[in-house]
Amino acid sequence: MLKMTHLSKVYRTEVVETYALRDFNINVKEGEFVAVTGPSGSGKTTFLTIAGLLETFTGGEYHLDGVEVSKLDDNARSKIRNEKIGFIFQAFNLIPDLNVFDNVEVPLRYRGMKSAERKQRIMEALERVGLASRAKHYPAELSGGQQQRVAIARALAGSPRLLLADEPTGNLDTQMARGVMELLEEIHREGATIVMVTHDPELAARAQRNVHIIDGQVVDLSEDPRFHAAHAAADQAHG
Amino acid sequence: MQIKPILAAMRHHKAGTVLIALQIALTLAIVCNALFIIQQRTARVSRPSGVEETDLFVIRSDWADKSDPRRIDAQMQADLIALRQLGSVQEASSTNSFPLRGTGWDNFIKLQPDQVKMTTDAAIFFADERTLAALGTRLVAGRNFTAGEIGAQQPRDALHSAQVIISKALAERLFPQGSALGKTIYVSMGRTPSTVIGITDTLQAHMTGSWANPYAYNAVLIPARLLNDYTYYLVRARPGQLAAAMRDAPKALYAQSRMRIINAKDGVMSFAQVRRRAYERDVGMAILMGIISVVLLAITAAGIVGLTSFWVGQRRKQIGVRRALGATRGDILGHFLTENLLIGIGGVLIGAVLAVGINLWMVAQFEMARLSLAYVVAGVVALLLLGQGAVLAPALRASRVSPVEATRSV
Repeated sequence: MLKMTHLSKVYRTEVVETYALRDFNINVKEGEFVAVTGPSGSGKTTFLTIAGLLETFTGGEYHLDGVEVSKLDDNARSKIRNEKIGFIFQAFNLIPDLNVFDNVEVPLRYRGMKSAERKQRIMEALERVGLASRAKHYPAELSGGQQQRVAIARALAGSPRLLLADEPTGNLDTQMARGVMELLEEIHREGATIVMVTHDPELAARAQRNVHIIDGQVVDLSEDPRFHAAHAAADQAHG
Repeated sequence: MQIKPILAAMRHHKAGTVLIALQIALTLAIVCNALFIIQQRTARVSRPSGVEETDLFVIRSDWADKSDPRRIDAQMQADLIALRQLGSVQEASSTNSFPLRGTGWDNFIKLQPDQVKMTTDAAIFFADERTLAALGTRLVAGRNFTAGEIGAQQPRDALHSAQVIISKALAERLFPQGSALGKTIYVSMGRTPSTVIGITDTLQAHMTGSWANPYAYNAVLIPARLLNDYTYYLVRARPGQLAAAMRDAPKALYAQSRMRIINAKDGVMSFAQVRRRAYERDVGMAILMGIISVVLLAITAAGIVGLTSFWVGQRRKQIGVRRALGATRGDILGHFLTENLLIGIGGVLIGAVLAVGINLWMVAQFEMARLSLAYVVAGVVALLLLGQGAVLAPALRASRVSPVEATRSV
């Protein structure tokens, strides 16, 4: 479903080159639920933005659902984002001026879907996340957990092949985070492929597979001393 | 189309939306009326005078000694002889006034001696047998005055002349059913009849104010020299010799007699200068209206650019999210163009009503003409295009926002 081979992402300024990802390799199979973890600045978010075609990469190959994406133009990338990828962001990223129904409708409109089909999909997605009754509410009238559920409904409504979640519970309290996580697990059980970036080891543990990134590379946790060092530091910090 | 969600989102930006819509509305209302005024003034300025204006100039001679009308009359006749003898001059005639002069005599014209109300109003031009030639105005019916018919009169004498020549417009106004030739009219509420012996082609009156629009082409030529404190000489230069004639003529007049004043500033004026002076207020008004229109349109365009740029800056994250969810650059561009179009449509609808309202008020207050709806339609199209043009740059900037903005924290 998602395969990156020797992928690199370099940010260049006049004086320095910074590798956000270097010789990055990952292969996510269809139906997998993969948690991507790593310390701040390790390249998790860069991986996610490249995986979601929000950003281009510098070298290597990236196949998404069998398509090599590096040569695609902007419109083709937009089309793939719209049809194949569902995004769940840490900050929910709902459009504050639009009500819940209209928010979920946004990607479907860009797909040029007919009104009746849009309506059916939106209501199904909202029912799926338990917010059908809030269709006319505005984001500001909802709790953080509810907003994230709307964002999940927005991601689901387009029936994507891949769900990309960036710290989906990062802005939620424990109870709401649990609810959102359970929802993601449920969606996964129904067959969705999910790649979730998270700081939270507890959440990561609930995924099928964990991929750890350090310094822009996927590492085998058991063999990497940097992981143990990072863990030790974290344990110390937590007292 | 994205119209419904755009409209829904606008409810959350009411202040900016309403302000821009109102700005568009006011601009449309004012610009439509301003352009209409410009058109009206331009049409007035380009009205034909009925005079061969090239090579024609006028001289105003103010008499230093006004005590003896007979001496003035003799001086006028001597002046005309002197002018006609100049090599650069083709024709010369004396008159009290002429087309486009601005001021002069206009008098009531009636068809019956005991008529209380006037039939119409007309400019009174004192003329001789060479006035039409000097003006370059031709007769369309009847005959010209003969030298023997030309008399002389003082301003306080009653206006009665056995023969008159009238302009075509006046003839048609007085006798719409048939030819005016040979018919009798009464000039200046007098009871002495005047027979129409000739009808000129188009001949404009001296009045140029909008009050005189119904009488703008009504003129009566009286066969007499008016022995007033001053006289005008209509002088036609030989083709291409206008400058020379304008230089020679006052010298010839001073050579005849120095008992006169020819104002150095405007005592000798080409007809082009006469026309310019007659319409300088109209031209000034048209220019002012033009400037107001351009400034208003520029302010409106700047307002749209400013507000849209602000909105683009404010919504960068939202644009990034839309891009992440599959919007193409074209979709984002279309979003802002549509948003502006919707605001513009709201503005022009209000503006069209305002434009007509302002015009109706001006019609009532200033006797202006009714605004043609074509101006409103043209204004609506122009304002909508201006809006789309103004929004293009910020909208293109918005379309270049990267989808990765969606992942950035604000």
